[in-house]
Amino acid sequence: MSNETSSAGMVRAKVTRAADHVVPTWPIASFIAVNPMRSMEKGQFGEDRHATAPSAGIAYTRNRTAYQRDFASGRITSDDLRAAISERVPELRSHYRDTPFDEAFYLDLLVADVLESNDARPVARPRDTADLDLVNTITSGWLAAFLTTDETVWQMPHRELGFYGSWRTLARHDPRIPRRARRRSTDLPSTCEMAVQVALQRLAIGRADTEAVLREEIDALPGWASHVKWRSENTGDIDLAQYLAVRLSLRVLLLENGNSPHPDHRLEKPQRTAPAGSRDSRDRARRALQRIGETDEHLVIAARVLESHPVTDHSVTWQVAYERHYRMNVLASLDRIRTDSAIQTASDRTDRVDVHVVTCIDPRSEGLRRHLEDFASAPSGLGRVETFGFAGFFAVPMRFTALDARGSVDSLPALLRARHSTTEIAVSNDEAVRRRRGLLTLEALDHSAHAGKTFGVSPFALAEATGLFFGVASFLRTVAPSTFERMRGWIGALIAPPTAADVTVQLAYSLPERILIAEASLRMMGMAITAPLVVLTGHGSRTMNNLYQSALDCGACGGHSGAPNARAAAAIFNDPLVRQSLSTRGLVVSSDTVFVAAEHNTVTDELLLLDEHLLPATHRGMWDRFARAASGASDRLVRERAVELPGASSRHRPSRVRRRSRDWAEVYPELGLAGNAALIIGPRSLTRGVDLSRRAFLHSYESALDPDGSALETILTAPLVVAQWINHQYYFSALNPETLGAGTKTIHNAVGTLGVFSGYGGDLRRGLPWQSVGFGRELLHEPMRLAVIAQAPLELLGAIISRNEVLRNLFDNEWMTLTARDDAMGAWQRYTRYGWQDFSRDIHPDQPKGH
Amino acid sequence: MNPLTRMTKVDIIVAGKDAPAVWELIGAVGATGYTSVAGASGIGHHGQHSGSLLFNELDALTIVITVLPPDRAPALIDAARELLEDRSGVMFVADTFVSRPEYFQ
Repeated sequence: MSNETSSAGMVRAKVTRAADHVVPTWPIASFIAVNPMRSMEKGQFGEDRHATAPSAGIAYTRNRTAYQRDFASGRITSDDLRAAISERVPELRSHYRDTPFDEAFYLDLLVADVLESNDARPVARPRDTADLDLVNTITSGWLAAFLTTDETVWQMPHRELGFYGSWRTLARHDPRIPRRARRRSTDLPSTCEMAVQVALQRLAIGRADTEAVLREEIDALPGWASHVKWRSENTGDIDLAQYLAVRLSLRVLLLENGNSPHPDHRLEKPQRTAPAGSRDSRDRARRALQRIGETDEHLVIAARVLESHPVTDHSVTWQVAYERHYRMNVLASLDRIRTDSAIQTASDRTDRVDVHVVTCIDPRSEGLRRHLEDFASAPSGLGRVETFGFAGFFAVPMRFTALDARGSVDSLPALLRARHSTTEIAVSNDEAVRRRRGLLTLEALDHSAHAGKTFGVSPFALAEATGLFFGVASFLRTVAPSTFERMRGWIGALIAPPTAADVTVQLAYSLPERILIAEASLRMMGMAITAPLVVLTGHGSRTMNNLYQSALDCGACGGHSGAPNARAAAAIFNDPLVRQSLSTRGLVVSSDTVFVAAEHNTVTDELLLLDEHLLPATHRGMWDRFARAASGASDRLVRERAVELPGASSRHRPSRVRRRSRDWAEVYPELGLAGNAALIIGPRSLTRGVDLSRRAFLHSYESALDPDGSALETILTAPLVVAQWINHQYYFSALNPETLGAGTKTIHNAVGTLGVFSGYGGDLRRGLPWQSVGFGRELLHEPMRLAVIAQAPLELLGAIISRNEVLRNLFDNEWMTLTARDDAMGAWQRYTRYGWQDFSRDIHPDQPKGH
Repeated sequence: MNPLTRMTKVDIIVAGKDAPAVWELIGAVGATGYTSVAGASGIGHHGQHSGSLLFNELDALTIVITVLPPDRAPALIDAARELLEDRSGVMFVADTFVSRPEYFQ
C-alpha cells in the first residue's frame, strides 16, 4: 500500500466529515425543496442556535416584536402561551408542589415573563465578508466555468482532468492570481487529495484543526459547496475534495506570494447572549410579578421558577404558541364536520360516484379539490365527484424523455434514484416526422438568433436586420402577453403541429412492477374505485421568464410537471392484466372504469386533459361534463387566490389573474406553496367541507385497506418527508432570506441552469427567493413547522415511528408535530417522545376529557 | 481444483444518504468496484431500522460490499473508521477468496 493511496482515503474521509452539515442543493432547473438544517435533525429543533455550530447565526424563529404583534392581534393568545410553556417546561408540575402557589399561578408568572422579557435573536453571519476574499472570487468564477456545460459558448478546457486537474492546468493563465504565484501553480500536486494534504502542511494546520479548517473553507461559499455536494452524488464530475484542493492551493499560492488571503483560520464565533444570572432572574421576576398584580413578597420563589425557562428559550416558546394556535383552529374545524358520514369507511360505501379525481398532496390541490366537490354537490347535474390526495408522481418513479426532447428529466421524488426510463412513441409516424422537421426548423432559427447575438460583430448586423421585428415582438409581449403567446403558439403549431404520443410504460416496467405500483397506490390512498371515470391529475406551473419555475412545479416529481407520471399511471391502471391481478388481491376495478391523465396548471388553475386520443367515445360525454365543472371550479379558485396574490384582487376577472402565466415581467405569477403548515393523512371525510386555505398537504389514507400498515409506513417515510423538506425550505427561507433564502429575484443572474447569483458574482444562492415568501418588507409565508394530523391506529403510528430513525428524529426532536386519532370517533392525541397525550381538551376546553 | 486467491472483503453498512461517501472512499483507495444493496433492515446501536421503505432510499440502510487486495485494505479500513466516527454505521472486515484475482487488482 502506497502512502499516497492511504492518505487519499483519509483525506476523503476528513472532507466528508467536514461537509456533514452541507445539505445538497439541486440545480435550479430541477429545484428540490430541502431542509437546509437537515444535518441538525438529530438534535432538538433550535437547540444549537446559539452554539458554535454550522447553524450558528441562523434564525430559527422570528423576532420578539413580530410575536408581540401577533399577541396584540390575537393571532397568539394567552392560552397558546400557557400551553406552550406547559409543554416546554414539564417540570413545572412536579418541582413546585411544595410552594405556596399552584401551577396556574406559575404559568401566569411565566407568561408574564415571556411578555415582558427581551430575548436577543442570533445575529446572521454577514455575507459580504465572503465577497472580500480573493479566494472566493477566483473559486466562484472557475466553478461557474467548469460546471455550466450546457449553455455556454465554450467549455472549460481539460474537463476530463476533473475540477482540480483542469484548474491546475489553467491557473497559470488567470490574471487575478499575482504573476509569481501563477508561475508556482505548475508545481502543485497532481491529485486533489495530495493537494489538500500538502496545502494543510504548508498552511501549518495541525491535525486537530484540520476538520475545522476544511469546514471553514466549505462554509466560505455555502451555496457552491451545497451544489458541488449534489453534483458529486449525482453527476460525479466534481466533488468537495476537488473543490477544497483548489481553494487551499490558492490560499497557499497567495500566502507564499505575500498576498493576504483570508485573514486566518480562526473560526468565526457567533455573538452570544450573556447567560442570565440570578440578578437577571430577580429583575425578570419583579417585572413579571408586577405584570400579574403581585407584590415582591415571593420574589425568590418567582425567580427560581423563571430560571426553569431562560430568556434564550423564549423565542422557541413563542413559536410553539404561534403554531399551536393554527393547529387548534385546524383541529377544531375538522371536528366541526365530524358527522355520520365521517365514520363510514371505504369498504362500507356502496353508492357509486361519477368521477374520482386523484391529485397531488400539494397544498395547491386542496383548493382545486374543495371547489370541484362544491361544484359537484351543486344542483347542476354534474354528478358526484370524490377526490383523493396522493404523491404527485403516482408511485411511478421514472426518468422521462419526451418525444422530441434533447435530454431527460428525473420525474421522481428526491428520495429515490431513477431506475426506469420511459419515453414516448408517436401514435402516427407521419405526424411525428412532420413535427420533428418543424421543430428542427424552429431550433435552427433560434440557434441562428442566439449565435448572431453572441459572436464578434454579428450583433450589429443582427440588430440592423431583425431589430424592428424583435422590437415589435418585445413591445407586444410586454403590453399584450396573452395575445403574444397565442400568436406564438399558433405559429409554433403551424410549423411543428403537435402529435399524439403514448408513454412507454409497458417497456420500462415489468408486469409484476406495474401490479406493485397499482396495488401500492390504491392501498396508500385507501381508494375503492367505484366511478366509471378516474382523473389522475398531475400539476405543473406555466410561467414566463422565471428562473424559479421548477420551484413551482411538483416536488414529488423532482421539480418537474407531474403530467408524464399521471399519463404513465393511467396507462398502468388501464392495463387489463394489471386489473386482473388487482382483483385477485381484493382490489376490484370495474371493467367500465377508465383512467385518464390531466394536468393542473397552478398559475391558471386550469385542468388540461392529456392523451385525449386514449379517451374512449363511451366516456367522452362524462369527461365533457367534468371539464365544465372543473372550469367553474377553476374560476372560483382563481378568485380565491387573487385575494392573497400581490397586485391582484378578487374583483379582477379570472382571465386577468391567469395572464400572469404569460407575463414575462411578472415576479409573482403565483404564490406556490407559501403558507404551507400542515399535512393531513386520512380519508377525505376527515377534511371534506373544511376550507383549509390551500395550506395543507392532504394524503388520503384508510386503515381498513391497509391491514399490515405498510401503506402507512410508506406515507410516513416518503410523502411526509418530502412535505417536511418543502415546509422547512419555506420556513428557513422566510426567516433567513439573505443566508438560507435566495434574496430578491430582481437582481438575479442565471449561472447556466445551475442556479443564480445576486448581481454579477459571489456565491451561488440557495433556497427560495424573497418573492416566494414575502412581499415588500412583510412575510407572505407564516413560518410554522409542519403540523402532521393523522387518522390512523395510534399503536401502528407509534410502532412505525420507533422503527424509523428519520421519523424518530423529526418527531422526537420537534422538527414537526403529530396529532392523531384512531378513527373518526377517537379523541385527538398529541405525540410526545414519552407517549401519546390526550389533546381533545385543548381543542375543546369545555368538553369532558376523552371526547 | 484451481487455487483461489486470498483477498480482503469489507462490508460497510450506513444510511442511504451516506452511501455516496463510502463509494467515494472505495474509489479513492484504488478498489476496482463495489456492490451496494439498498433497503437493509436491522437493529443496532442507533435503534431499529426498517427496511420496507418503498419510496425512500435515502433513509433506509445500505450495505456496501467491496473486495480488494490485502495490501490495499488498511487504507480503506482507516478511512472508513474515520468516516464512521461520528455517524451511525458499521464495518465488517473478513478474509475472502476469489477465483479471478485480476478483477480486483
